[in-house]
Amino acid sequence: MNTSVLFQTILGLALLSVGAASAQAPPAGPSSAPATAAQQTGDLQSLKAQMLQMQTGLRALQAEHRREVADLKAQVQNLHRTIANLRGTAATPGASAAGCAEPAPATSSDAPFPTGDASVVAAPAARGPQAAAPAAFPTTDASVTSAPPAAAAPRLTGPITIAGGARSVLNISFDGQFSAATSSQKNLDALEVGDHDPQQRGFNARNLELALDGAVDPYFEGFANVVFKLDNDNETSVEVEEAFMQTTTLPWNLQAKGGQFFAPLGRVNQQHPHAWDFVDAPLVSGRLLGPDGLRGTGAQVAWLTPLPWYSQLSLAVQNGNGGTGYSFRNGGDDGIFYGRTTFDRRLGGVEDLVFVPRLENSVDLSPTQTLLVGASGAFGPNDTGTDARTEIYGVDVFYKWKSAHSEGGWPFVKWQSEALMRRFEAGRGVADAFPVGETFDDWGAYSQIVWGFRKGWTGALRTDFLHMEESAVTDDPQRQSRWRLSPNVTWFPTEFSKFRLQYNHDFLEANHFLGSDDADSLFLQFEFSLGAHAAHKF
Amino acid sequence: MKHTAPLLLTSALLLTLGSTAHAKLQVVATLADFGALATQIGGDHVDVTVLAKPTEDEHFVDARPSFVVKLRNADVLIEGGAELELGWLPPLLQNARNEKIEIGAPGRVVASQGIILMNVPVGATRAAGDVHALGNPHYMIDPIIAKTVAQRIAQSFAACDGANAAIYDTNYAGFAGTIDTKLQEWGKAMLPFKGASVVAYHDSWPYLAHRFGVTIDTFLEPKPGIPPSPSHLAEVIEKMNARKIKAIIVEPFQNRKIAEKVAASTGARIVDAAQYPGALPNTETYVALIDALVSRLAAALGEQ
Repeated sequence: MNTSVLFQTILGLALLSVGAASAQAPPAGPSSAPATAAQQTGDLQSLKAQMLQMQTGLRALQAEHRREVADLKAQVQNLHRTIANLRGTAATPGASAAGCAEPAPATSSDAPFPTGDASVVAAPAARGPQAAAPAAFPTTDASVTSAPPAAAAPRLTGPITIAGGARSVLNISFDGQFSAATSSQKNLDALEVGDHDPQQRGFNARNLELALDGAVDPYFEGFANVVFKLDNDNETSVEVEEAFMQTTTLPWNLQAKGGQFFAPLGRVNQQHPHAWDFVDAPLVSGRLLGPDGLRGTGAQVAWLTPLPWYSQLSLAVQNGNGGTGYSFRNGGDDGIFYGRTTFDRRLGGVEDLVFVPRLENSVDLSPTQTLLVGASGAFGPNDTGTDARTEIYGVDVFYKWKSAHSEGGWPFVKWQSEALMRRFEAGRGVADAFPVGETFDDWGAYSQIVWGFRKGWTGALRTDFLHMEESAVTDDPQRQSRWRLSPNVTWFPTEFSKFRLQYNHDFLEANHFLGSDDADSLFLQFEFSLGAHAAHKF
Repeated sequence: MKHTAPLLLTSALLLTLGSTAHAKLQVVATLADFGALATQIGGDHVDVTVLAKPTEDEHFVDARPSFVVKLRNADVLIEGGAELELGWLPPLLQNARNEKIEIGAPGRVVASQGIILMNVPVGATRAAGDVHALGNPHYMIDPIIAKTVAQRIAQSFAACDGANAAIYDTNYAGFAGTIDTKLQEWGKAMLPFKGASVVAYHDSWPYLAHRFGVTIDTFLEPKPGIPPSPSHLAEVIEKMNARKIKAIIVEPFQNRKIAEKVAASTGARIVDAAQYPGALPNTETYVALIDALVSRLAAALGEQ
């Protein structure tokens, strides 16, 4: 770069000296004596031109020099900052600011305040965003060879970063949820309806969850949630709760997903226990959808309608078999469900799949208030009869107020309610062994309110109600109508840990086979999250 | 009556289609500072929607479903990057299904790109609180950086709306010129306080400190995002008295009562500051915001 300028200057100087020599040389002979005025003028002009050329060359050299000095200054500033960053630990974030090179302000009031600062902008101002280097990565060679910024450089050989953000190909997190439980009911597993709920007095580890997600390629995103849990014999079991791929670039506002996933039925069914506001699952979800909720292997298409508010229509199709398809092709415990010996029904055709349509709409009531309303259903066969079917209908509503001056997300108020109705055709089982076929119209609802009253603290109250249609022949403790009241208080030291104290009062109604009963339980839940904290959906 | 429902639906659809065939560039900015710059550069040729409220904690914004619709309709998305919106933007983008604002598309402006972030932690550990692994993301408060971000925005607008490219370029040049002029003013106002120490509630101000030569390295929070504890506040008070620190910067969403207590025991003044245009009265533009910050800070420091 500046060698050419230098070369030009030297050339200019050489030319000049030649010109000067010829101009100053005394007349060497009679032939040179009669030099005309015109010749002299020409010489002068070429001399002038040479001088001008030299001047330009010098100026260019000077400018180049100034640029280089500025560049070097910027580099030194960068290095200072890098060093300061290296010295300053994460615990003392302010230290590096103090350790920065001479700060930008002018030293006297006469000098103009600088309007540019090469130490804060990596890319030259003229460069487009597409060509820009990764954030905080100096663009000069010197910084690469001496001391590149410690944490900002992407390292191909480094370990996979788990902090999330722009540099990672995969977000990894682990969530450990535990609870200590006590109850007037000795067999807590008979009282609690969800598989991730506390199932015994003493300590419980029912939800140790490994979550992975990331962009697969330009077309798909991938998600996986694998849950480890310890049963009441302290045996570890593994559950592939979710593992699915989802499109990112389908036209017409469509989005498809395929794999193992939560059916889009209601609200709480689509949330991992980590996101729940209570220690346990609502009664309706545990008894009508199943202890694990409704989830399974299948596919789903969701359409974001062109309406001006948020309105999404989705349809999921799942196998709906086994324990996670509880009300559908579920063989039940030891081949018995609601007293019937179940068929081991294999998938025959499309009619044997479970279809789950859902429509959800959301509007902002005000800048601080949001309302989300959903309606969903689930339709498919069940295993108690050759053509026995199950229909589930649900509506859900979620309201949230959050202060316009919220810190860390607090304060807020959330209200969430869901009602579910299930029509279950209970056949007569294998060989028509059960005396009668029945149709159960079961229904229930819960309503909960959560108040985040100060940063890190919430108080919540939930009421639960479940009505199971009475039968004189079907003797199953799971078919007992009941209600529950659950207040709790939660403390979040940060968004990555929490402690929750919850009291449950359960009341079980008498039916043809069982007397009425009530129970009081107390739970202390504690939880930690490691790694990327997946952003919460609304 | 029978035909009312389909008619309504059809007209709603037509209305929506009509509104999507807009002439103006639809711009979504995650935060109000980007929104203010977008308005400055786009003028009448853009519709700017800001997601987060200027007065709320930008780290914890709810991913409201209405934002999905706004992002679905966007031609340009301006985000801060550097993990600032990590807690709420990803699920919105997953649902937005909008190719125009994909990473790498001209309609996606990641403002932190090319900015040298301050305070990049050596080892990012959550034992140190809410530490940003990529560096402090509150960089927009530095007017010199804001110029670069404004230029990125202008370039993106030009790429997405070529017909008005010259206008965006001119508006950017005007903005940069204004900043250059105002920097002289701000620099002069802050000059008497070069080297002065200021306390802040949260570590949001390293770029302001760097630009104007003040020291802001003491915080009411013991660690970023961790609420102030009495023992830590006692230390801060001691430090403030020893170093004669006379100003405490508090943002709109932070607990002002705690700052007031500290101010009462040190005789310091509270500087009500904000990072986002619109959070303080009469600060709808970026320049007005920095004007307010500089004058408030200078007033507090000038009192001693």
